[in-house]
Amino acid sequence: MTTARLLPLLLLLGSLAHAQTPAGQSGAVAKTVVGPANADLADGAAALRIGDAEEGVRLTRRGLVTASGQRERVAGYSNLCAGLAMLERLEEALQACNRALQLDDEHWRSYSNRALVYLKQERYPEAERDISRGEALNPNARTLKTLRAMYRDAVDPVSPSIIIDDRRGAEANETTR
Amino acid sequence: MKQPARRWLPVALLLFAMSATATESSVTHLEDDNYERVPLNTVAPAYPAVARNERIEGDVQVCFNVNREGRPYRIAVRSSSNRVFEKPAIRAIRASRYQPLPKDRQVPAIKTCRTFRFRLESATAD
Repeated sequence: MTTARLLPLLLLLGSLAHAQTPAGQSGAVAKTVVGPANADLADGAAALRIGDAEEGVRLTRRGLVTASGQRERVAGYSNLCAGLAMLERLEEALQACNRALQLDDEHWRSYSNRALVYLKQERYPEAERDISRGEALNPNARTLKTLRAMYRDAVDPVSPSIIIDDRRGAEANETTR
Repeated sequence: MKQPARRWLPVALLLFAMSATATESSVTHLEDDNYERVPLNTVAPAYPAVARNERIEGDVQVCFNVNREGRPYRIAVRSSSNRVFEKPAIRAIRASRYQPLPKDRQVPAIKTCRTFRFRLESATAD
């Protein structure tokens, strides 16, 4: 069905985790260096960002072992979900997303990632529910807008049509579907 | 030695499957046969991906003059239901051409108007 048409076009875009510039590099004098310092999670995120899902999953799993604090764990499981989804290991991805959401049920990225997994599984009601939850938490997230478009294409596919009307008296009318 | 710490943000996976970019629009051209200028190459606008994703339809009427060589000029939107359609409509007019006038033929410099109707039709899933 539609998902089959979507999958070959999958393209990993931005919005992935940043392994940001070290805090001390911006100023002339390095002061206190702040950060979770979980290099594996950071490297895993970077690997996922460049599309290396295998490495991203491996490093993220390793990082989760030493993750300190709920925030790191939530982000780690969410990333793991994303990486496993990239590898089409959808059931495992779902488990990772569920784990992230058990830890933090307001983590919009986890809803976003899980919605993608549901879309791939053609579980459209669940996908729509997660997209809506994500939108409620972060209405401006581009990721969610893209997922919303994918969802619409799956359940209500459309094909564009242009009518060029050169007839005299042809007026523009407002039409919103 | 202390390694520089890296701040780490959660990953969001953005998968992008915009069939809009891969789908061609179907084009219908409606015209009268009593125009002073004859269309030579009528370019259809692209359906904006944003509008398609949001399931927005609309109309834009663009008016313009056509010079002796058949190139549209003084292109302006006369009315539109949604601004998202205006740029594609203007680009399409700019790229369109009319038959050049013979040297001995004079026509009044009247404006021509063209209405683009952007529509979405239900497509059966494969």
